Amino acid sequence: MSFDLDKPIKGRVWKFGDSVETDAINPYYQYPTMEELKLHTLEAYRPEFPQEVKPGDILVAGRNFGCGSSRPGLVLREVGIAAIVVESVSRLFMRNSIARAMPIFMAPGITGIVNDGETLEVDYPKGIARNPATGKTVAIRAFPPLIERIVNAGGLLEFARQRYLAEKNV
Amino acid sequence: MTHPHLGPPLEGEDEKSASRKNVAHLSPLVPQGDLLRGKREDEKPALRGKQTMAEKLLSRHNLAGTPVYAGDIIEARIDGAMCHYHAAEPMHDLALQAGFNDGLPRVWDPDRVFILLDHHQPTLNQAQADKNALIRHEVNRLGIKCFHDAEPGIAHQMMADYGLMRPGELVVGNDSHTISYGALNCGGAGITRADMFFVLLFGELWFQVPPTVKVVLDGKQPDYPIAKDIILYLAGKYGDDFAGSMSIEYAGALVPQLSIDSRMCLSAHGVEVGAKFAMFPFDEVTREFVKKRTDKPYEPVAADADAIYEKEIRLNVDEMPFVVAKPHQFGNVCPVGEVSGTRINQAQIGSCANGRFEDIESAARMLKGRKVAKGVRFLISPASQQVYLQCLKAGHVETLVEAGAQVITPGCGICQPKVGFLSDGEVCITATTRNFKGRKGSQQAEIYLGGPLTVAAAAVAGSIENPKEVFDEL
Repeated sequence: MSFDLDKPIKGRVWKFGDSVETDAINPYYQYPTMEELKLHTLEAYRPEFPQEVKPGDILVAGRNFGCGSSRPGLVLREVGIAAIVVESVSRLFMRNSIARAMPIFMAPGITGIVNDGETLEVDYPKGIARNPATGKTVAIRAFPPLIERIVNAGGLLEFARQRYLAEKNV
Repeated sequence: MTHPHLGPPLEGEDEKSASRKNVAHLSPLVPQGDLLRGKREDEKPALRGKQTMAEKLLSRHNLAGTPVYAGDIIEARIDGAMCHYHAAEPMHDLALQAGFNDGLPRVWDPDRVFILLDHHQPTLNQAQADKNALIRHEVNRLGIKCFHDAEPGIAHQMMADYGLMRPGELVVGNDSHTISYGALNCGGAGITRADMFFVLLFGELWFQVPPTVKVVLDGKQPDYPIAKDIILYLAGKYGDDFAGSMSIEYAGALVPQLSIDSRMCLSAHGVEVGAKFAMFPFDEVTREFVKKRTDKPYEPVAADADAIYEKEIRLNVDEMPFVVAKPHQFGNVCPVGEVSGTRINQAQIGSCANGRFEDIESAARMLKGRKVAKGVRFLISPASQQVYLQCLKAGHVETLVEAGAQVITPGCGICQPKVGFLSDGEVCITATTRNFKGRKGSQQAEIYLGGPLTVAAAAVAGSIENPKEVFDEL
């Protein structure tokens, strides 16, 4: 499943703090199936999150989002999170998000312009995240061309398939 | 572009230049060390040429063959791939998602793929047994030669035990603690499952060359391990992402005194402070360790004397107290005295951070002639069968069992909700990797992290205490 980097995203914000770990996002040791995970993701921080999150919501968090293990955050997409916008992100969570074409954006200062429950607009082509209620914006960092290509291909798996087939046909 | 059996790289030369331009235009708000970070403004071409360990390592592995520097995005040649319990089902699922209906069509080099079953060994339920059976099938089908199947242990320790990674190599693993290979001057980096899928097919992977934080350790190594205290102390002082997406280079007068066991603890915990690599310089200690385990040639990697570092932090361990991380984050650190008297239900020593010989030896030494406090469950899990055997031969297992500890099978279980679950309201102090909420089961349990000596002291006292107050010989 892919998403379109060029399409602006607008949604209700769920706000989290710093160093939210993959154990909380993806507690698969205890909930090995996706259906179970959807009922428990992020409950360590916000017990109401799995019940109340709606498709199209945006997750905003502080620094070092997705720290800890190399587990992916696919469950967040499964519960409908349309974008993750954070101060900074752990490298493995970033690699996972790129590889699986998950919409994640680094926007230093983001936690200062939007509160939990408010609306946020994310416009990657313009490079800004904006709180429409206050008009406040922060810059979103651009991905280098290679990363954009991986994301636009639908992720690293599709990228791998295309390359493998291209080599076979040489 | 000289890779023997592969096609064009991910990124052509023209695009690489474009990417550099793009990176240079990033906002000044870009936090240091993050992915896609901008170049330093002082980075004049004249300063290029002097390289950190990570820059040297990735230059050596850059498919484009050019020297690389912090911020560059490159495609790197991979020397070794450590794949553990994800080897079957997740890799098969990823293959299906990528349109390979018969599963992964190949591995790029069957001699460079290492499959070690650590998280699920011995299996605790039917599902795990079935997954391991699938892994055996896939290993056969793909012709992978290095397969540690009927042997419990932590993959990272077994990679060291059996000489499967060497100084100067770039070795990836789909487990975050793969970074521990930096102890042997090896560029070990955790990657994701999807990254591993790509590596298994092509033996290549994209990286952003990290800036480097130099961690200078001075002082004297006491006659017990302090590596855990060092990294906890640094995380407490500088934050749990002080090396976020950066490479750590350990340096200073303490380094030659550090055992490989201590180095592996410090490197493994690189990921707990956000790092991509956490490397030690190659020295006589490394040479001796590697010599006993492999006769394959290798080429260590060293930083240039005047390489450019993102930052340098210093610690004199003589002035460092015993510390613990309080629930529920690695960086939530205080001197052990601040929480002394905290009653515990469980104590643990193990994992890829602290399941090594010196950790278990120091606990055994302290517990000789003492008893584990009544009602405290003291779990010890050697990191591998080789470590277990070493402890057995030295008599430490006997000492620990006599004192009332439980020695459990080597593997990752002690560091997860797999072995030794906690119930609501229970408190555990553990020399393992992480203390996140729910890491040992209940969301209402509290987990403290400490070094093996602090854990052993708590096991004897029944509460968290300064080891020097529990063990008067210290």
